[in-house]
Amino acid sequence: MKLDIRSRLVIKAVRNVRRGYEKDEAARGMYRPGITIDIQRSRLLTQSYKETDGKPMVMRRALALQKILSGMDIYIQDWERIVGNNVATPEGLFFGIDMNWRSVKRVVSGEEGESLLDDEGRKELGELIEYWKGRCMSDIHQEMFTGDLLKYWKFEGTFLWTHWSEIGIPDYEKIFRIGLRGLIDLAERRLAELDAAVPPDYIEQKEFLQAVVVALDAVIGFAHRYSKLAGDLAEMAEKSEDKKRLREIAEACARVPEHPPRTLQEALQSFFFIHIVRYLEYSTLGIGIRFDKIFGPYLEQDLVDGRITRDEALELLQLLWVKFNELGLIYSPMLSAVYGGVASLQAITIGGMDEKGGDITNEMTYLVLETAEAMRALEPSIALRYHNGTPDRLLSKTADVIRTGLGYPSLFNDIAILPLLRKWKVPEKDARDYAITGCVYLEIPGKNVARRAYGGIILPKCLYWALHQGKNPVTGEQWGASTPDPCGFTSADDVMNAYLEQVRFFFGRLNRIENTSRTIYEKYLPRPFYSAVLDGCIERGQECRKWAYPSSVHDICIIIGVTNVADSITAIKKAVFEDKKLSMDELLAALDANWEGYEHVRQLMVAAPKYGNDDDYADRITAEVHHRTADVMAEFTDRFGNPCRGDGSGVSATYGVALTTPATPDGRKDGEAFADATLSPVQGMDKKGPTAVLQSAAKIDTVRTYNHLLNQKFLPSMLEGDMKDVFVSYIRSWGELGISHVQFNVVDNETLRDAQLHPGKHQDLIVRVAGYSAFFVDLSKGLQDSIIARTEQTFSQSMPPLK
Amino acid sequence: MVFNIQRYSIHDGPGIRTTVFFKGCPLRCRWCSNPESQRREPQIILHDARCTKCGACAAACPAEAITVTPEGRRVDWERCTQCLECAGACPNGALERCGSVMSVMDVADEAERDRVFYKNSGGGVTVSGGEPLFQPGFLLPLLRELKRRDLHVALDTTGFASPDLVEEMLPFLDLTLLDIKHMDDGIHRRHTGVSNGIILSNARLMALRTNLWVRVPLIADVNDSIGNVKSTALFAKELNAEKISLLPYHEGGISKSAQTGMTYAALHASTPLAEHVEALKEIITGTGIHVTIAN
Repeated sequence: MKLDIRSRLVIKAVRNVRRGYEKDEAARGMYRPGITIDIQRSRLLTQSYKETDGKPMVMRRALALQKILSGMDIYIQDWERIVGNNVATPEGLFFGIDMNWRSVKRVVSGEEGESLLDDEGRKELGELIEYWKGRCMSDIHQEMFTGDLLKYWKFEGTFLWTHWSEIGIPDYEKIFRIGLRGLIDLAERRLAELDAAVPPDYIEQKEFLQAVVVALDAVIGFAHRYSKLAGDLAEMAEKSEDKKRLREIAEACARVPEHPPRTLQEALQSFFFIHIVRYLEYSTLGIGIRFDKIFGPYLEQDLVDGRITRDEALELLQLLWVKFNELGLIYSPMLSAVYGGVASLQAITIGGMDEKGGDITNEMTYLVLETAEAMRALEPSIALRYHNGTPDRLLSKTADVIRTGLGYPSLFNDIAILPLLRKWKVPEKDARDYAITGCVYLEIPGKNVARRAYGGIILPKCLYWALHQGKNPVTGEQWGASTPDPCGFTSADDVMNAYLEQVRFFFGRLNRIENTSRTIYEKYLPRPFYSAVLDGCIERGQECRKWAYPSSVHDICIIIGVTNVADSITAIKKAVFEDKKLSMDELLAALDANWEGYEHVRQLMVAAPKYGNDDDYADRITAEVHHRTADVMAEFTDRFGNPCRGDGSGVSATYGVALTTPATPDGRKDGEAFADATLSPVQGMDKKGPTAVLQSAAKIDTVRTYNHLLNQKFLPSMLEGDMKDVFVSYIRSWGELGISHVQFNVVDNETLRDAQLHPGKHQDLIVRVAGYSAFFVDLSKGLQDSIIARTEQTFSQSMPPLK
Repeated sequence: MVFNIQRYSIHDGPGIRTTVFFKGCPLRCRWCSNPESQRREPQIILHDARCTKCGACAAACPAEAITVTPEGRRVDWERCTQCLECAGACPNGALERCGSVMSVMDVADEAERDRVFYKNSGGGVTVSGGEPLFQPGFLLPLLRELKRRDLHVALDTTGFASPDLVEEMLPFLDLTLLDIKHMDDGIHRRHTGVSNGIILSNARLMALRTNLWVRVPLIADVNDSIGNVKSTALFAKELNAEKISLLPYHEGGISKSAQTGMTYAALHASTPLAEHVEALKEIITGTGIHVTIAN
């Protein structure tokens, strides 16, 4: 009998019920009914902290993990084959009280989070929060600030900084090769060496390695609890097929992750334990694993040995997909505006090159795509790495999945990204193994790039300050850099320079806030477990925050609204300085009036050349804005001296934080959404079709900037029948043009508008927001509108001309 | 005189193409989806959404054909002399000049921009209109230049031109997209204003020297009878055409007739039923020739 696996999906996506700090349909609730906050981890963590006061911090974290893994409730549902979760029930949500208790408190105290906790839970949470006051990272961080940093740390609209989860990809290949037992042996050997040599940092190394052993042992014990539970359930099971299923689980959990997996099921189970313990040790995100590269060989061996059929493997993957969707996170009201519709940003990577430059596509690649088609789930999002060797069959299958409207696979271009990684000093062998986790974050699997998307810089707001000498026109307060009076500007260069000076001012502060926070994490939140599953930490005897992979593949700052800045400077150059159709005075008056009474000025600015039309005039300025903004960011460094960089993962911030940015000279009105990604034209401003958009995007040099995001919206008919080959050739051309990323919403606007009117009819409708997909009905009206406003490519070409 | 260059054209020949639309056509088909393509001279086209009712157009109009009120802008097309003064005066492009004289090099440069897409898709450039053969003095050097740049070139034509002219163009073409509106001369005259005799004889010339796709804009109760479609198919088969494209009528031209003020009869045309189109497809397939719909 076939299971209806899809019906098991639990939907934990956060609804963006707020925009900025403004309420928007809060009554709808932040989460779907039935979803609750799980406080078991917080309870056990707090107990452990109380017991271990005075011990070295790294050991306290290991003991806390041990307490959680041995104490939290576990469950196995009657259809599972891959088991485990980071919370005690399928409907539970995870949160990191040790990071920041304020967010969770804000959520459960607000109207939108009312259903998340009962009275008893609320009371217990209150007690736990009492313990963490002054102890959580956010509190310690604020205590640490001196000077004006605290003032800028609070969200004002020019940048956003958060205590946000770390991502990163464990060294699964090593874990599968030697098991956690092998890692423990390694740590113990290092301890013995340490005792023999007694180096100057003897205590620090020793404490770390001892903590590693405790943490890894705890994970093995956690798996054994599942093995025992499955064994007990097998005893009680009536049906022989259930007995068999449960015994297989018991056997797998007895073996992995302690020892190397022997079958696909064991490999998936081992991976899943590691994945969830990453959360339990410390709030985290993403997956990033190169799924086909890692699991393909296990699938092939199982098929050859006759242990599994292709259909059984497909079912196993679908069951794993259900488990991915059981993971969910609490988001603060502010972050829910930024991450509308997100669950936990889990992305997996398929395709691309192997270490020698050959193509890695295997049967697992196709199985992943078939699973995605069958499950139609928000997560995991799939990142497909493209290179010249990507087979036609894979692109054709990819087009089929994109055609269903899921918004993924999202395409990443090795041709553009490998040179970028080279510039960041990633060795070629490591670079070829890059993977995508979260939105469009680039990672090197197994390497110590423990890192975060720590914030976003709202570039149109920097331009705003540049046009106001850094002074708040209402209060008169000097908030940004004191740049020259714009009425004295004589060229677009003057505008650009003032803008860059503001970027320097605000990014400099953002950078200092982040660097201080990293220091605090190092001291107060060491990660013995995660360090152990990375390459190098055990070997060096150093926790992952104490050293860094020598490259800029680290923390990232999200770039927001760059196209609006570019179009604005272009319009100023054309209308003010070249055509002299209006003065700077007049423009500033129009902007400050939000164009009211100045519609003729707005039309003039709208009529100026725009990025996205393969128009060299606009594209040259856009490239310059990108390149020079990246240069300013690179003037600052992280704690290890690596230059800072931007990132194209705009999430839904291009909508959410645009609220606090007044009118911009490109014709945008106060509060209107920004262009939806770093490479995307402003909505409706690309008038020459999808080839011109790519030609414009290709003029922005990935190597001189950062990784990017580009959204394209196509009609379903553009990927059907004869048109599928044309679409595949479009992707090949995108690859050849060296653009780092592209993803597609395949849906027509009529469907989206109908879904706004009749949400009940379209519960299942998925759209691509930024680096992730979401249920359209979960998004706020404004974000829905901004997705509808994306230019529908090939609209004019949907019908042939008639003569 | 060109009125549009459209990139990512995917219905005007194989692959991804750029289509260059010539302005001016000897035919007056009621179903024309680009009525602004018919006249040779530049003309204005209205974009109401961009209008801010500032009145600059009315002030600029020497014929006093434009009135602007708070409700909107009105053009008296009887008075309008198409002098285009208003298009120059409008700051917002709400009255746009349609049709401009371009140099061969400018057109070829624009057409070449998407070369990478042509290469990967087997596409190229399609010269369309209006009727490109209506401007031979521009068409010939353009085709020569496109070929010199080694691009795949298609001509989308009504076929209504002197055979000598057609002969002259053929060496520079890879593909001809030939519209055949009706096989019956009388009906053809009634709906297009011209005879089909010269079109059918040009078709033979084209078929000898280039690949040929026959295109039939399918209008209900005009040319969608089984008899007409079958004889079109047999004719195409005789010429060894690669395929027939059936292009069912759509209302794309109606909004443009209001934007251009052109008295336009397409309002009376109607779309054949999808089932009927499928039946016609079967009939054409039965004659042994490949057929596609709306492409």
